Amino acid sequence: MTDRGTRRNRTRSLRSGGTVFRHVLMISMAIAAIYPVYYMVATSLKSKQTWTADQFGPPLPPTLENYAAVMADGRIPIWFLNSVLVTGASVIAATAISTLAAFAIARLRFRGQTFLLRLMVALMVIPPAVLILPLFLGLQPLGLTNSYVGVVLIYSGMLVPISVYLLASFFRTLPVELFEAARIDGATTMRILRSIVLPLSAPGFVTLVVVNALWVWNELLIALVFLQDDQRRTLMAGLTLFKGHYTVNEPLIMAGTFIAALPMLLLFLFGQRFFVRGLVAGAVK
Amino acid sequence: MRTTMVRFGGLLAAASIVLSACGSAASTPAPTPAATTAATAPTDSASTAAVPTNAEPVELTYWYWAESDAPGADKWMADSVAAYQKDHPNVTIKVVPQATDTLQSAFQTAAASKSGPDIASQWATGPVLGFVWSDAISPISDLVPADEIKHWLNTSENTYQGKLWAMPMYLLGIGMAYNKELFVKAGVTPPTGDRWTWDEFLAASAKLKAAGITPFVGGDKNGYLGAWWFANLGGQQLDSEADLVKAVVGEASFTDPKYSGWYTELEKLVKAGYINNDVMSLDLDQGVRQFYQGKGAMAFTSDGMLASAIKELGADKVGVMRPPKWGTGTLADAGNATQSISFFVTKWSQHQQAAADFLQYLHTPERLTEWYKATGVVAADDRFDSTLVTVPQLQQMAKFETTGQQTWLENWIPSQLDGDGDLPAGQLIFSGSGTAADAGQLWERVAGTWRAAHPDELANWQGLLK
Amino acid sequence: MSSTAIVSTTSASARRRRPDLTPYLLVAPAVALIVLIYGYPIVRIFIDSFLSPTKTGAKTVGVANYGFAVNDPVFWKSAGNNVFLLAGVPLMTVLALLFAVVLFDQIRGWRVYRTLVFTPYIMAVPVIGATFVYLYGFNGIVNTLLRDIGLGGVAQDWLGNPTLVMPSILSVVIYRELGFGVMLFLARMASIRLELYEAAEIDGAGWWARLRYVTIPQLRSVIGFFVVIELITMLSWVFAYVYSMTGGGPGFASSVLELYIWKNAFAYRAIGIASAVAVLLLVATSVLIVVQLLVRGGESETGEE
Repeated sequence: MTDRGTRRNRTRSLRSGGTVFRHVLMISMAIAAIYPVYYMVATSLKSKQTWTADQFGPPLPPTLENYAAVMADGRIPIWFLNSVLVTGASVIAATAISTLAAFAIARLRFRGQTFLLRLMVALMVIPPAVLILPLFLGLQPLGLTNSYVGVVLIYSGMLVPISVYLLASFFRTLPVELFEAARIDGATTMRILRSIVLPLSAPGFVTLVVVNALWVWNELLIALVFLQDDQRRTLMAGLTLFKGHYTVNEPLIMAGTFIAALPMLLLFLFGQRFFVRGLVAGAVK
Repeated sequence: MRTTMVRFGGLLAAASIVLSACGSAASTPAPTPAATTAATAPTDSASTAAVPTNAEPVELTYWYWAESDAPGADKWMADSVAAYQKDHPNVTIKVVPQATDTLQSAFQTAAASKSGPDIASQWATGPVLGFVWSDAISPISDLVPADEIKHWLNTSENTYQGKLWAMPMYLLGIGMAYNKELFVKAGVTPPTGDRWTWDEFLAASAKLKAAGITPFVGGDKNGYLGAWWFANLGGQQLDSEADLVKAVVGEASFTDPKYSGWYTELEKLVKAGYINNDVMSLDLDQGVRQFYQGKGAMAFTSDGMLASAIKELGADKVGVMRPPKWGTGTLADAGNATQSISFFVTKWSQHQQAAADFLQYLHTPERLTEWYKATGVVAADDRFDSTLVTVPQLQQMAKFETTGQQTWLENWIPSQLDGDGDLPAGQLIFSGSGTAADAGQLWERVAGTWRAAHPDELANWQGLLK
Repeated sequence: MSSTAIVSTTSASARRRRPDLTPYLLVAPAVALIVLIYGYPIVRIFIDSFLSPTKTGAKTVGVANYGFAVNDPVFWKSAGNNVFLLAGVPLMTVLALLFAVVLFDQIRGWRVYRTLVFTPYIMAVPVIGATFVYLYGFNGIVNTLLRDIGLGGVAQDWLGNPTLVMPSILSVVIYRELGFGVMLFLARMASIRLELYEAAEIDGAGWWARLRYVTIPQLRSVIGFFVVIELITMLSWVFAYVYSMTGGGPGFASSVLELYIWKNAFAYRAIGIASAVAVLLLVATSVLIVVQLLVRGGESETGEE
């Protein structure tokens, strides 16, 4: 958020009584926000016996046996790789396709461009639940159910509206003068895209990639329906199955769950600003 | 067992069942051979198209499922195949293990294209008959002599129009385990026979409750405890499975106390506090674990759960009886064992006789013994040597499962009625949010919806009554 | 390739030139994908909603599928639950605003708090669902705490009790989405011009007055944006919450429209019914589409503010 000096002044001007109250409020909020993560981690470090004896106590002595068991089960590593593959491919495809469209919408002039942008905004609202059945019926005869290609097609398609929207907003913020100068130099459209827009838009892309990756990684409904083969599940869909197999081994379930949560938590920890920027992009000018 | 195994992956599993079938029904009748990918392994056999003679090489593909019910089953199958191939050098058997979730969908795809394995696995009754109706199964009774089949148990589960369509391999059932120590503490004595009457069960529960002990523990968060009660109590006023099918197809009503009166009894248990108060926040298995931990005097257990209970509580503390007798119908006396999965020869197989011969081989006494040694699950054959079972409580369970008529009621209702009727109705009762009458109406309403939405299936189910 | 189409969208001096195909080629892949992933399914649910599959092919059944749905109490229960969740949006908005305002005062450690409050939003719904099943269990942490402080009577089966299950699920949705709102509001607050506050202070406005007459009016558009996003979430994105915590139970107490469609489509082969309900859901969301276009579309059409 903005520069510190101004903030400090404002802080003073805004501060009023109830500091204790605020701290109490924020501390309870913080505990509530973080407790489930703690519970997940603590439980995953307990042996079954420790957990049975005390669900909520600290994991003493801590054990990695659940993580070893997750690895021995062998499915979660496979699902993990599937998630990486599906997420990676979908995000790349969606970004590439959306960049072209967003550039045209933001920086070129053609018939229907306003309509197209409005359409993107409208499509962002359509629930996947409405689309999955006809998509399934349509893709099945093509052999695209239970297939990575099919699922990547769906994910990248569903990412296009938000991606075009965000990239178009971003491209608009690039200085007009650059484009005019390039035009005077006789640069072609594609060249302008390649040598001006792309290099200058790195922050925009990072933001978009983070947001889209978060969405695909966490998606459940489409993954459940379109990747039913045990070997092809994504982590989120597999997790449900895993829970079903080990109902009576809560520490093991929590270990698997934590592994599923970890990549995004790490990304968030190291790239917080991209998350924040990405998720608030478009909402705040 | 179907209830527990199939459905946890459950609805998602069901997912594809459907669509592979519907995809073709809805508009494009084109078969979709490539649709299911990996699980649907390649099938060489169908293409070799050779007339089976003794010398000619025969290659069989077997889509096999059992490991989830009976850990050790895959190893046993590998051994069986190796032994069989040694004796029959011209036969090669390729076993393709099937995933629980895709078991139905994968075979649905095969059935749609009329190509795939020579031998396949499906859960008994509903799913097997579903494939009989879609003309994907060759009746095993045409391929295996009657004096062999007469040794197989629970064949009624897959008998239709006078033919047996699939072979049972093992039996799973539900017993009522009890904690001897807690019984003694409350002054409750186990039944003299193999089961209590309902009134005896209630009286015992009252005593246990008075002694501060939870009489019955279980978990119904995922709905299966309700389904298990249905399987054990729900049919006790009926005389045959056909009675149940009558209500399914609309010739009788589920609101009739004959069908839903037992919910009143279940309601009594809940109201009296005879069931653990966290029943709705535990899944089935988590509920049974309460029993292992000595937190309740009785619980429904499968053979495997009973074995775990013995391990956790000690052999001297665990007893097992049959679930109590409440009703007066013929089925009130029936046991609840089911073969769960069934194996059958596909209609399109080029080597039907060879396939059936291999299935028959799996029922040789030596294979049955090996089966038990590998899995600890009772084989569905009267030639099975019951002395192999050494733990007395498990012996008793095996006896319950192999003596007299057996029926697992859940096999006799369409999956929609199970998922939207059976399971939620139990939850209404256990959560105290509905009455027995509500439960009956729910069943009836869901059955009505199913009948109206699936006229084709309805016609098939009506065929069961002929 | 021609470069003549390059214009500055913010410059009014742009002139039309002869038609150039470049923009169309650039948008073609995106349009194609959208036709496939959105266009085809939307057309098809309308068609399928009037059909019923039979052995011999699909036959037209008029509005019978819609009839099934509206006569099915589970449909109404599901729709009602979506409405219940929608009604939770104001609460969530107020909470997010409250936390944002408190954080904005830069109380000690506000950066840490900000990170923490945002953490749940990063975690996948199935992950959160799996955890909350234990936390909300009858003997979970919530009830254990209640019992420890002598409120054992308040302890409930939060997810197993049909009247409490929806409020419990709503609380989990709020738990996860709250951080998003806090972030949005904080980001917007950071750009409020300081003079506004100074002027307010000179006028003798207290904390509350400044909040009411400066902060909230300045946040109006971003609040609107957040509300729209969350309305969409409550209508179209709650499947994973319900699926991972209750599967729609006990009974049908926590079923929602997405789950209803999914079950009919994939578990019960009722393609016609599933399509009919999908059409109804689409109609319901189209109201939100209009709102969304008003909130979001206008500002960015031409890039001119």
